Amino acid sequence: MRVKKRYMVFFLLPCILLFALVYLLPIIIVLFTSFYEWKAGGIFQFIGLDNYIKAILEDTRMHTALKNTGIWALLQSVIHVGIGTTTALLLSRRRKGWKLLRTVYMIPNVISASALGVIFLNVFNPKYGLVNSFISLVTGEKFAKNWYFDQNSAFFTVTLSWLLYAGLVTILVLAGLASISEDVLEAAKIDGASTLQIDLFIRLPLTRTVIGTSVIIAATSMLREFELIYLTTNGGPGITTLNLPLYLYKTSLMDNNYGYANMMGVVLIILGVIAVFAINKIFRMNEADY
Amino acid sequence: MKERLTKLITVILVCVLFAGLLAGCSSSGKGDDVATDTKKEEKTTEKKEDTESAAQTEESSGVVEINFPTSWVGVSSNTEWFNDRLAAFNEQYGDKIKVNVEEIAGDQAYVDKMKVLYSSNSLPDVFSTGGYNLIDSMKDQLVDITDYIDEEWYNSNSEVCWDVNSRDGRIYGVPYSRQVIGYFYNKDLFAQAGITEPAKTWDEFFEQCDKLLAAGITPLSMDTADSGWVTSLMLGAMIAQTEEGEEFMNTLQPKDYNREDFIQAATMIQEMFQKYTTADAVGGKYENAASNFFMEETAIIANGPWMVSDFYDENMVEAGFAEKVGTAMFPGGVMYNSGKIGFNFASKTEEKLKASIEFVRFLTSEESQKKLLEMTGDIPSNINVVSDQVYPLINEVIENGNKASRNINDFQSLWYANVVDEISVQYPLLAQGEITPEQFADALSAVAKVN
Repeated sequence: MRVKKRYMVFFLLPCILLFALVYLLPIIIVLFTSFYEWKAGGIFQFIGLDNYIKAILEDTRMHTALKNTGIWALLQSVIHVGIGTTTALLLSRRRKGWKLLRTVYMIPNVISASALGVIFLNVFNPKYGLVNSFISLVTGEKFAKNWYFDQNSAFFTVTLSWLLYAGLVTILVLAGLASISEDVLEAAKIDGASTLQIDLFIRLPLTRTVIGTSVIIAATSMLREFELIYLTTNGGPGITTLNLPLYLYKTSLMDNNYGYANMMGVVLIILGVIAVFAINKIFRMNEADY
Repeated sequence: MKERLTKLITVILVCVLFAGLLAGCSSSGKGDDVATDTKKEEKTTEKKEDTESAAQTEESSGVVEINFPTSWVGVSSNTEWFNDRLAAFNEQYGDKIKVNVEEIAGDQAYVDKMKVLYSSNSLPDVFSTGGYNLIDSMKDQLVDITDYIDEEWYNSNSEVCWDVNSRDGRIYGVPYSRQVIGYFYNKDLFAQAGITEPAKTWDEFFEQCDKLLAAGITPLSMDTADSGWVTSLMLGAMIAQTEEGEEFMNTLQPKDYNREDFIQAATMIQEMFQKYTTADAVGGKYENAASNFFMEETAIIANGPWMVSDFYDENMVEAGFAEKVGTAMFPGGVMYNSGKIGFNFASKTEEKLKASIEFVRFLTSEESQKKLLEMTGDIPSNINVVSDQVYPLINEVIENGNKASRNINDFQSLWYANVVDEISVQYPLLAQGEITPEQFADALSAVAKVN
């Protein structure tokens, strides 16, 4: 069917306008003001690259926030997606109760972050939390670790708030696995491939783009993770669990330093674009399988 | 024919899409809905047109509309009082002034929203932060209301209340309440530990903590989250042991915390965390601290009289709990006895400003203030307001305030917002001995200097 170009333009225009208004314009403003000293009290002065130079050379909080954000993005891309994919492979065998498991595994993904934050604070509460109670029960001795607020365990505990709950990845990969042609799998079986071999060498490679999409979702979710950290540790103890979005929030709303916060916004956008580009390359997202 | 029909449908669809887009972006004009007004407020690019069209509509109806976002909603202790006063205001002024109330739950969320509105120059006509000081960071957009405060109004309020709402002799806020804060203790638990009366000095206070511990009672309710309110009240009271300390605790936005009295107080707080409080204090919120006191798991909690109504609430405590509670000044006769940041104004037109001031004048009238005292336990800024219908413990707290030898202001009103936030993340390190009191002071100083 021949589609006239002007119709395409007509139909796309509202969407493009909306995008320009809601996203593009604010991004341009953020980029523009990141070169300014912009603070409460009407201070607005062009300072060139000073915000960026300060972030790179002097600001230890920025360094920690960047490091934490990077580690979490990496962990989420590898372990979180790994767990989700493995679960999907197991569930795809469709053993008894697989639908129930699939649904249960999705529950943490459908609960709001604020509710999850409160749940986790209670689960890891040093006085009456589930984790300490369980350890006390098993060891027979009173165990009172302050998981979220002990400097040695805070990062690990915050990571646990999202790392294991890969329901979304599981659903996506399950859908990808379901779309693999039965002929391919049957051919592999006839050739004598074991179940593990089929999983590793047939099914996984054929769901490459779905896994790539999951990695993009997982990695970029860490570039905007805010609520769970804010509601549990608020970036503490000290700056142990500070990440870039939380530091941006604090710089903007606590320090009232909007120019510096917008510099972080620009860094986040750049990191997001690099992540998406790199993952697209690694997973060869534009190439067809067969 | 078919092609023409397709073209027609295409054009109609495009028009509908554009109409939808434009409707979404345009102002909704005058609406009764509060949410609609809120959206209107957020669209700063079209603020001017909004204001003009609203002014025209108001002119024709004779009713001036003002916006008042509030956190006095839901479980806030002021909700009932505010709803009562708003209904009374509407009844009396409904034909002249319409108050568009936007509900924002939680003090921090409220303050954050005001900051966002400030950054886009669209603060509401009138707002009240529940004590957080936004005057200094938003002064350029706030209205100087000195000329609108007549002598009668000025004299009816305590001087300290005007002080905290004024800068360089100009008034930027109308006070409605006074902070009088000491600590509460459980008389039964004190008796079990052989303690007959509250401590006069901090040394004696720590001795009492040891006695409580020896009797198997956890002495203190403490917290670290959300500025560590309960803990920081004790910190401030410790700092104010000397004249210099008292002065520091009445200094607006100090930048240097590296002082002997502060470090000494931080040392005592560290000891309290390590020896005298509950396992959930580090990382705990005010609610955890309060709950421990309500359940008689701790013997002491620092807080203001607004907590008193909870002592009588059988959903929270056992019947007769209030009889067990005593009130005390902090050692050294220190009390938080200060004004509180009140209502601030950011109206863009004279008409709206006058309406906003009328609204606030109603909320701070003697009748409203009396109701505030009776319904919330919040101590009114109006010095003429008294009531015999308040819990006796509230009167005790007020009496302690009147007898105090050192009067200080609370840290949330005085210290920079980022310092108040930093306390929450530094307390856990201090508590666990990961940093020294000196490093604690350094951390707060470093954050304060960013401002």
